[in-house]
Amino acid sequence: MDTGLIGILTALLAASVRMATPLTLAGLGETFSEKSGILNIGLEGIMLSGAFFSFIFAYYSQSILLGLLGGCLGGVFISMIHGYLSVRLNVDQTIAGLALNFLALGLTSFFFLMAFGRTTDLPECPVVHQIAIPLLSDIPIIGPAFFNQDPFIYLTFLLVALCYVVLHRTEWGINIQATGEHPRAADAAGISVSGTRYRAALLNGVFGGLGGSYLTLALLGFFMENITSGKGYIALVVVILGRRHPVGVLMAAILVGAAEALQFRMQTMGFGIPSQVFNMFPYVITVLVLLFSIGKNRTPAALGEPYIRNNR
Amino acid sequence: MPLLCMKQVCKSFGKVQANQKVNLTVERGEIHALLGENGAGKTTLMNILYGIYQPDSGSILMDDQPVSISSPGEAISLKIGMVHQHFMLVPTLSVSQNITLGIKERGYPFTDRKEVDRKITRVSREYGLDIDPTAIIEDLSVGVLQRVEIIKLLYHQAELLILDEPTAVLTPQETENLFAVLKRLKEDGRSIIIITHRIAEVQSIADRVTVLRDGARVGCDNIGNVGEARLSEMMIGRQLDTAVRETSHQNRLNEAAVLSLENVSLNGRNVNILSKLTLELKPGEILGLAGVDGNGQKELAEVIVGIRRPDSGKVLFEGNDVTILGVRKRKRIGMAYVPDDRHHDGLILDMDLSSNLILNAHDQPPFARFHFLNDQVRRRHAEQTITDYQVKTPGVGTLVRYLSGGNQQKIILARELDGIPKLIVASQPTRGLDIGAEEFVNKLLLAQRDRGAGILLISADLDQLIKLSDRIAVIFDGRITGLLNNHAGIDLAEIGLKMAGVA
Repeated sequence: MDTGLIGILTALLAASVRMATPLTLAGLGETFSEKSGILNIGLEGIMLSGAFFSFIFAYYSQSILLGLLGGCLGGVFISMIHGYLSVRLNVDQTIAGLALNFLALGLTSFFFLMAFGRTTDLPECPVVHQIAIPLLSDIPIIGPAFFNQDPFIYLTFLLVALCYVVLHRTEWGINIQATGEHPRAADAAGISVSGTRYRAALLNGVFGGLGGSYLTLALLGFFMENITSGKGYIALVVVILGRRHPVGVLMAAILVGAAEALQFRMQTMGFGIPSQVFNMFPYVITVLVLLFSIGKNRTPAALGEPYIRNNR
Repeated sequence: MPLLCMKQVCKSFGKVQANQKVNLTVERGEIHALLGENGAGKTTLMNILYGIYQPDSGSILMDDQPVSISSPGEAISLKIGMVHQHFMLVPTLSVSQNITLGIKERGYPFTDRKEVDRKITRVSREYGLDIDPTAIIEDLSVGVLQRVEIIKLLYHQAELLILDEPTAVLTPQETENLFAVLKRLKEDGRSIIIITHRIAEVQSIADRVTVLRDGARVGCDNIGNVGEARLSEMMIGRQLDTAVRETSHQNRLNEAAVLSLENVSLNGRNVNILSKLTLELKPGEILGLAGVDGNGQKELAEVIVGIRRPDSGKVLFEGNDVTILGVRKRKRIGMAYVPDDRHHDGLILDMDLSSNLILNAHDQPPFARFHFLNDQVRRRHAEQTITDYQVKTPGVGTLVRYLSGGNQQKIILARELDGIPKLIVASQPTRGLDIGAEEFVNKLLLAQRDRGAGILLISADLDQLIKLSDRIAVIFDGRITGLLNNHAGIDLAEIGLKMAGVA
């Protein structure tokens, strides 16, 4: 099975899905946030904090479940600071997000150094293992990619479906959309604008934290300084590319994930081209896709705008 | 026992006293007009009642029970509903989703849409407010949106309905329909507060009227007890000297046109904003352009002055093709533009009065020599303008942001009329102004016409058009649907139908 083109394709697709998972998770959280009107550039910080705390919890407890909990808490910590700054203090959301990214980078690096000192061999935490779903995993090419993965990935698929239902099939989704499109109208209808936005920020933290946890608890099994290395920013792009639709976010994440998987594979093929050229690949794809999707996107009208009821 | 009683309500924004000890009593089953000029505090008072603002002091009683309304949600549960001047509808959602926004219908959060839709249809039939519950808000016209807003209140079973300037966006027929609906609602025992600054409206629909001026209540009476003159005096605090158009004035309609538009088309993203529009304007006439907002008026004005370039067709100024000329060149050869959005298109709010006054000519003598500005000339020019136009300002160095709407508009007019233009495009020149400022602008426009300028007056206010225009053109959907000579017996119904694109 792992011979020739089909083998390569299978492995590549499976790797794409793995690369796409943290982006999808973080993207889902950001989708909630942006639909409610909060633009949180601090997604990178949320993921980084999630990755760090999931590692710490999992390392000391040797429990993956506690690691997940830690990841969610770490993400929520950053996202709720952003939420408070945006909803209560009405600050510039982009600046707040940027600041939080640097805060998370500094804090996690500092704590990590405090806990483990300067070591050459990185401390390891338990990781989740693949579980093959009988029958489905035997389908050629897509079987291994979608049905012979770790439980994290199955959870992600489940969450995509769940988010779709919540955002597009329930009144909750309508309330979130109203808050992001026309907060004054939402307020006049008796919906709490700040409540809705805080809840969206909370979800953003949980999902972003899960996305960060995936790096430590599934992909790598260790933590290091700046482990997310820009994945949060890519996730922001995935949200735009996926047009703030859960399924769209998944598709966009798989596309970007594929570019990343391809990049790793090409680096190991020995082309004699500097690896930095391949490193650019996912970003080039991102820019190109954005270029072609211009004008088809519709951002929530009140995205990034603080809502002040008493304002005339 | 009155349904609503607001007592001694005060509210200030910074140093501005928006409401000072205002009392308001509304009986069950009456239509109560809240009359006052822009900035008199009508909307603030109603926003307090609807829980959007909190009063600084004062009390609200419903059925003699004191209530505290700290959010719109609480107002809704007290069966108070409000149609805001700027509609509170989410453009990306459907009619039915907007109507149930914020209320937990059966099955919440998996609300049974079909049942809600049926209920909406039932309410809409009952009051003759035709509506499609599945339509998306952004696809609907303002007249329909207002219907949605009213149905929303009925769906919420509001007992007290507040309507903020409901007729501002309607054609005359739509206004009549609205009033018929309001009367039906009154017969059903509901109470209605209608905010307006139009006296004629108060007389045709209201039972009682409360007049506000400068944030304070100046009077309250049954409509039968106060005449038009009395209401006007209460509202503005003095007698009004209105502008009158001299019909005997020598029209120069047989002279060459100062402006002609030939088959001008402008395409939007998916729609035609202007389609093959042809129009001619003579010197010494005011051509009124009537139409419901958003039918291409603003774009037409911008095509004429050169902010937008048409996709096809020609703009002729005194017979010369100026289609490809830029704004600055057009202004130099004698065009003036009074934009509808003063803050956005007309002024630089954070620049002072004297600088705003020379924006058209700041690079030319006497204001500039060899690219250096001459402060003294600018200052003297500003002082002269303040006297000529009676601008109320602390000084020439005051930022325009801190002037009132009327004084801001005077700055724009002074600047635009400075070069003695041959063509003036005035877009909603009196929107948002109080009556005194409105009369000032109206008189100024008439004086310019008598001087020989051709004026295109774009206004959503039919009364103003009829008062000032020599001819009235009607625009609908980017086309001119009618052109009428203005005389005493002009057929309002006909204009209304043309505004709606029916005739």
